[in-house]
Amino acid sequence: MRYMRAIRLIGLFTKVNIQNLAAYRFDMYMRIVVSILHLISELIGVYIIFSNTQDVRGWKWQHMLVLVGVYRTVAGGIRIAIVPNMRKLLEDIREGTLDFVLLKPVNAQFLVSIREIVIYRAVDVMLGLSIATYGCIKLTGQVPVAQAIVFTATLAAGFMIVYGVWLMLGTLCFWFVRVQNIEMVFWNVFEAGRFPIDIYRESVRWTLTYLIPLAFITTVPARALISGDMTASPSTVAWGFGLAVVMLIVSNRFWRYGLRHYSGASA
Amino acid sequence: MRVIVRSFAAFLRAAVGTMLQYRGEIILWAIWGLINPAVLYAIWSAAAESNVDQTLAGFSRGQFAAYYFCIMIIGHFTTAWDAYELGYLIRSGSLSSQLLRPILPIWSALAANMAYKITTLAFVGPMWALFFWIVRPTFDAAPWQIVLGIVATMLAGLLNFLLGYVVALVSFWSPKLDAVGEAYFGIGMVFGGRFAPLAALPGILYQAAYILPFRWMYAFPAELMMGKIKTPAEALSGLTIQLVWLLGIVFVFRFGWKAAVRHYSAVSG
Repeated sequence: MRYMRAIRLIGLFTKVNIQNLAAYRFDMYMRIVVSILHLISELIGVYIIFSNTQDVRGWKWQHMLVLVGVYRTVAGGIRIAIVPNMRKLLEDIREGTLDFVLLKPVNAQFLVSIREIVIYRAVDVMLGLSIATYGCIKLTGQVPVAQAIVFTATLAAGFMIVYGVWLMLGTLCFWFVRVQNIEMVFWNVFEAGRFPIDIYRESVRWTLTYLIPLAFITTVPARALISGDMTASPSTVAWGFGLAVVMLIVSNRFWRYGLRHYSGASA
Repeated sequence: MRVIVRSFAAFLRAAVGTMLQYRGEIILWAIWGLINPAVLYAIWSAAAESNVDQTLAGFSRGQFAAYYFCIMIIGHFTTAWDAYELGYLIRSGSLSSQLLRPILPIWSALAANMAYKITTLAFVGPMWALFFWIVRPTFDAAPWQIVLGIVATMLAGLLNFLLGYVVALVSFWSPKLDAVGEAYFGIGMVFGGRFAPLAALPGILYQAAYILPFRWMYAFPAELMMGKIKTPAEALSGLTIQLVWLLGIVFVFRFGWKAAVRHYSAVSG
């Protein structure tokens, strides 16, 4: 019953968002053009690097194509629901309109996480997955069907981690109202995930694995999709999943704590 | 002329004030300029160390460190955002009031640009020092190369600002063409030598980079400052080419601006 209602709500919000998009079609096309430009520049980047060298710390050009594809997939996925919803949450806290969300007879965390769904960002996900699959085919000569399950699981874990980070950043806004530009910090750090974390020195790698778990967002899913000696070890995958669960729990607790501090618009 | 100088000084004072007001947000913009070269240094030094002779396109690890240290600084002093912003100014109608002033809007854009570079220096300067200390670059530049490199960086800043502004004039015809700014930026990244030193570009990209003006905005001052450009003759001919490009772009701007303003019809109040 409860789950049916949740699914119905998601469907409803998706429908409303698609209708809104139809009003700004040119804007949508422009954004798709921009994301294709980004993908092209990333592919040119791989071409430039591997016209100078055979491999970078064990990563060959096929591996790197998989990573470029995964990076685009994750970046697109984050822009479908996570970033737009959190942007709206920050705006609502600042404007005081969050009260309207809290008054609705639905779990508030659920509602703030599904209100905005930018469906055309799925183009990024499709382009990214195509590039990643192409990289795998160039590597082994076949579509990575066997890896697909572990890959999907690690990708889901990556999204869970990003969602947790964003929910915590959003919750911070209950105390520090002017953190709307925090999104830029997020994308700046995310930039470091364009390349495998193996290129960094030990200390940076450690930081990007344990302090800022960027490794589990791009490098680990890419490795999960790659078969052979580069593939992600079961323990890494398990670590990523454990971290994702912890992030969900911690961010949920923090959100509830923040909500108790929220005093509303008129205060 | 005196009007321009006095107005520009006033614009600059106002812009510095605005930037200081929003210092927190402006620092966030500056972070990208630190992370991007650092990440690219990491990938290229790792790639160089995977090669047998530990070098790549004539660069050792330490030279990549020097190159990206220079690119980090040059990237800061050459940054310009008008290719993104002019379309917005037209859409929101705020260009209309600027057009009423007896001085071209480009002067206030230049003032904002310089104010940004000056006010964020207090933040990025220590970060540059930190990067230098961590990556230990190998520099072999003599004082004259550094002095000419600073001159080249200033010319590069003007060059990128003006060319970006000229490209932005497209938005007078199509104010929602956001992809223009992105494409301009991406082309500058690849052909300017920001993504990779020009020597590392493969065949056709390398040839294109030598024809396009972008190398004079990033690669040339960087190579000069790190000591890759050895002879004064080479350095002076580079500076001359920068000046020629600059004059050419000023010329295009004067015609482009006239045509653009003639085409302008305000969007809203």
